[in-house]
Amino acid sequence: MKNNDAADDPGTTHFGFQTVDRDQKESLVRGVFDSVASRYDLMNDLMSAGIHRLWKRFTIELSSVRPGQTVLDIAGGTGDLAAKFSKLVGPDGRVILADINDSMLRVGRDRLIDLGAVGNLQTVQCDAQELPFPDDSVDCITIAFGLRNVTDKDRALQSMERILKPGGRLLVLEFSKPVSPLLEKVYDAYSFRVLPLMGQLVANDPDSYRYLAESIRKHPDQETLQEMMEDAGFVSCEYHNMTGGIVAVHKGIKA
Amino acid sequence: MTGRHDPTVVTAVLVAAEAAINRGLELDPTSARDLADMAGTVLAIDCLSPEIEVFAIVEETGRLHLTPYWEAPADVRVRGELTDFLALATAEDPAATLINSDLEILGNTSPLLALQALVSRMQPDWEAPLVDALGDVAGHQLANLLRGIFRWGQASSKSLRRQLSEFILEEGQLSPPAAELEHFFEQVTALGLRVDRLESRLQRLARRLAAQR
Repeated sequence: MKNNDAADDPGTTHFGFQTVDRDQKESLVRGVFDSVASRYDLMNDLMSAGIHRLWKRFTIELSSVRPGQTVLDIAGGTGDLAAKFSKLVGPDGRVILADINDSMLRVGRDRLIDLGAVGNLQTVQCDAQELPFPDDSVDCITIAFGLRNVTDKDRALQSMERILKPGGRLLVLEFSKPVSPLLEKVYDAYSFRVLPLMGQLVANDPDSYRYLAESIRKHPDQETLQEMMEDAGFVSCEYHNMTGGIVAVHKGIKA
Repeated sequence: MTGRHDPTVVTAVLVAAEAAINRGLELDPTSARDLADMAGTVLAIDCLSPEIEVFAIVEETGRLHLTPYWEAPADVRVRGELTDFLALATAEDPAATLINSDLEILGNTSPLLALQALVSRMQPDWEAPLVDALGDVAGHQLANLLRGIFRWGQASSKSLRRQLSEFILEEGQLSPPAAELEHFFEQVTALGLRVDRLESRLQRLARRLAAQR
């Protein structure tokens, strides 16, 4: 499977199943997340039956983050991972919750304050393709369910590689390709029929959840994403399929 | 570990086990304090069948963290079959069970024995959460009922074990008594040693005979 992010015309890209100008994608994705921000956590729990918490927990285990380290959680949304990392790095460490979307970041910041995750936590609104941090400054980067929304994934991966310290690790948690054809059929039916209906009933926003299903299908599969990480300069790249490959977590180390 | 089993399933099982253990520890502050003294201890459980590797890490708060992934070396690693682990977890004499079982142990055994002892003497106060949730009267009544059921379960299990053992030894005569068995093993060991001695004597005689020729 090729990198589905690359449309035939270099000036265009995919927004779900639509082909749009590259400049347009960012604002379209922003529109989706502005719309879902307030019910993001509730919808995640409903859509995945709570399993997204297990996917995130396993990602945190793979991070092997230790006290005193600096962690950057890109597309951190409502701060699920950042809250856990805040405890792991302790008062001497630092966690940066980054998101391009102001609405998501605001929900995340409020939620983290409510959870008491303060002191070692910062929020930064930034673009994953142009991370505003110094070279070799971060021990661990996570991006959970965010990479598929980035316009130029290769550029984003290169930017992450730049700011990681040598030996630092990148963890990409993202929807992927089910390993069993039968599971793929069931998953397709669920994604294109149940998800938009759920979006309509709970969030009154079927289009955003249709985009979610479409963007997952356009996202690179496990092997392709691993190659993209290697092309960006990461070494010892590997991935773990979860829930039959519906989701995969990729790990890469900066040489 | 994750190559064979889906990490989602393994993580779900570990989350449930961790929550149950830590809930038990919350209801038994003495055990939690004892556990906190072992903070930083990492125990690797390497189960061969089913093939699962789990790490138990003791946290400073006296809680236990279970994870399928840990990069630093463990203080002690125990390898064996699931049945061996279950036997160890429920053993009255864990040290003897460790020595006699097929479990392979790498590293320092003392944290392992301390953990096992802690689990076996845990006495959680199940009444506290019930009273919190249902109020003093209903919570206390329900706790009494549960305690009764638990005691009945323990007594029944003990009685069943004793009766089963009596049947196997006395009624069915399916197995000899332990003392008889031990005596038989001693005799077998003594016979083995005598055979070894005889074998070396024969070899010595054969060498002497060969030298004379």
